[in-house]
Amino acid sequence: MKKRILAAVLATASILGTVAGCASETTSSTAPTDSSTTSSTTEDSKTDESSKEDEKKEEGKVLNIYAWNEEFKGFFEAYYQGLEYEVQDAEGNKSKTKYENAPGLKTLEGITVNWIINPSDGGVYQQKLDAALQGQADAAADDKVDLFLAEADYILKYTGSDYTMDVSTIGVETLDTQYGYTVQAASDANGKVKGVSFQCCPSALIYRRSIAKDVLGTDDPAEVQKKLGTWEDFDKVAAQAKEKGYYMTASYVETFRTFSNNTSSAWVENGALNIDAAIEQWTTQAKNYLDNCYTLPDGVWGDEKNAQMFEEGKTMCFFGPAWYFNFSMGNAQDPDKGCFGDWAITTGPQEHFWGGTWILAATGTDNGTLVADIMKAFTANEEICSKLVEEQKQFTNNMTVNQKYATDANFGNAFLGGQNDIALFVELAKGIKFEHKTVYDQLLSEKYPEYMLDYFQGKVDKDTALANFYKYVKETYADIKTP
Amino acid sequence: MGKKHKSISYAKWGYIFILPFFLVYFVCTLIPLFSTFLYSFFDYYTTQSFQTVGPNFVGFDNYIALFTPDSTGAIDLLNYTGNTLLMWVMGAVPQVLFALILALIFTGIRLRIKGQAFFKTVIYMPNLIMASAFSMLFFTLFSPVGPVNQIIEMFGGEAFRFFSDIWATRSIIAFINFLMWFGNTTILLMAGIMGIDQSLFEASSIDGATSAQTFFKITLPLLVPIIVYVLVTALIGGLQMYDVPQIMTNGKGGVDGTAKTLVMQLNNYIGGVTKNYGKAGALSAYIFIITGAMSILVFKITGNNSGKKSKKGGK
Repeated sequence: MKKRILAAVLATASILGTVAGCASETTSSTAPTDSSTTSSTTEDSKTDESSKEDEKKEEGKVLNIYAWNEEFKGFFEAYYQGLEYEVQDAEGNKSKTKYENAPGLKTLEGITVNWIINPSDGGVYQQKLDAALQGQADAAADDKVDLFLAEADYILKYTGSDYTMDVSTIGVETLDTQYGYTVQAASDANGKVKGVSFQCCPSALIYRRSIAKDVLGTDDPAEVQKKLGTWEDFDKVAAQAKEKGYYMTASYVETFRTFSNNTSSAWVENGALNIDAAIEQWTTQAKNYLDNCYTLPDGVWGDEKNAQMFEEGKTMCFFGPAWYFNFSMGNAQDPDKGCFGDWAITTGPQEHFWGGTWILAATGTDNGTLVADIMKAFTANEEICSKLVEEQKQFTNNMTVNQKYATDANFGNAFLGGQNDIALFVELAKGIKFEHKTVYDQLLSEKYPEYMLDYFQGKVDKDTALANFYKYVKETYADIKTP
Repeated sequence: MGKKHKSISYAKWGYIFILPFFLVYFVCTLIPLFSTFLYSFFDYYTTQSFQTVGPNFVGFDNYIALFTPDSTGAIDLLNYTGNTLLMWVMGAVPQVLFALILALIFTGIRLRIKGQAFFKTVIYMPNLIMASAFSMLFFTLFSPVGPVNQIIEMFGGEAFRFFSDIWATRSIIAFINFLMWFGNTTILLMAGIMGIDQSLFEASSIDGATSAQTFFKITLPLLVPIIVYVLVTALIGGLQMYDVPQIMTNGKGGVDGTAKTLVMQLNNYIGGVTKNYGKAGALSAYIFIITGAMSILVFKITGNNSGKKSKKGGK
């Protein structure tokens, strides 16, 4: 009899154990932060909470932000959480206080900020974000996505969906100081604005001054522009650079954006894959450049390319906006690596823009006021925007601030040998058009060059390389018709 | 009466004790297994704009599509199957041979290797590292600016682009799989060899058998069941080869897709920004059938029956 009781107890325990296991499994799998890098910063709660009590009840205590790199996180922590403001008390004494405590501004006190960061390569970021957004309705208030970042290549996917909200409902107005294309990109088909961008991204030709002097005999941006103003000139100089032992670019994909941003049709037209004439033109150029060793068969984010940004690098030209040389040219930005200050920018053969980060509000956020305040801080707050230019060398989405630095004779970027990059970007920003974009752009623009590399390196013929690209498209997007 | 009652109740308890496993198996494995088969007959996918198409019943269309030649006349599915099997063979053959030699050395009575536990731990070690970490390591080692090329350049050679070369890529992938799994195979084969009756080895040495004779006449025939087990499990793992080639080739599958495996194609259908449940279901069913067929083939070739016979003979 004892044995029976013992057996009954054990059996019950094992079955309950299973059920309990199941239960804990389901709760853990619904957490959106599952298997991603999460870091949180909790603001120390302070003693005087009396005045803020009401607001706290309305809004959530956890702010979840989805991003694909640390760029915005850095700005957020430095300027939204950490920036000091001068305030005056009743007796007229001036003192410094953090932004969050400044009067009239939304507080971050008692709010935990969660950063959920996944790399964008191969669409990983989109995948993780989509899963979180699709589970948004069922997620607990503190697990909901409040704010997420999106890039020009796939912003349409989110602005066109119900997962983003019209930011005018939380009090974010579109300002005249914002660049038109950034507003257009953040709007849905009905013209409802779903977010804001804190940067404007005209892309320039970034060149090594010392190599330009050696190859072209000058490192003056205006003179260099005269010699690199068209693709024919660019090709000619590429040959000259090679004779002197230099590479024109460090990646065969380097010039891709200048072409893909000047297309006259989109990647997908009427549901069918479409390769624009400009993309064809790039294909011809890339083949030519690799055949002649003007460039390296490495991706735009590759190690081999990054190694070219050291002092001993042999590459003359890079292409990119302000965020590119601030954030992605780490080797060159490091003064110890020997080429800091040996750079300059000019328009290059073709005007274009590249990327840009938009802040979008997720439908269902429980931190509406805070989200709106963050959006305003990074677009309308001139103090923050000025800090972005001065300290982060950003080109902001605030025309007033940009204009201030563009006309400031004393302003210069030490990385660019003291050149006033803002002045050039102000001019280039005028030409930016946000057109021929689709929801598919990120992966198609990322994979097309990758698949064509087999052809460029002579491993297969062009048709086979194209067929391999079509296969990839077919396997990834069932709704795109391929030839 | 009492006895009878007791035996019945114990059987009942047995079922109750194994019930949790079957419940979990049913919910977490069996239902998804059947739904995969079910979806393979439907046109059912999501799009980049958060829309879901289907499920619409299409019969065998998904299977037919998998076997339809593309514009270059190739049937992708067969290519990817070929790649998978080729890279598996390139890794598994040296793996089993190497493991067999190691197992013989460690179990050899005449050698009496000291510090066996240490060596066993060391050779098993690579298996503890994640395949993805291993792949990243090798990707960095063999990158155009990596240490291997630096060494080549140090000796006056020219940097070689390993991942732009079909056979270099395949070989590196096969080598990683070999490196990761030979330790595991060695342990299994050692267990197999140690399971053989020692008196047989003693008898053979009294009869004056050479080492080679002992190996081919005693060890190998009695080891066949274990070798079959090793091969079948390795084959099942090999057909699911994914993480190493995926990371090594950045998901592209190497030059002209020559290192693309079946599960990498499956990942393109189901693991990316969009989900194609129909096609993925059909492909999974295909991998299931291939795995079953190949396993039967391994059993037939290695002649499982003769293994049993000699075991009996041994006793």
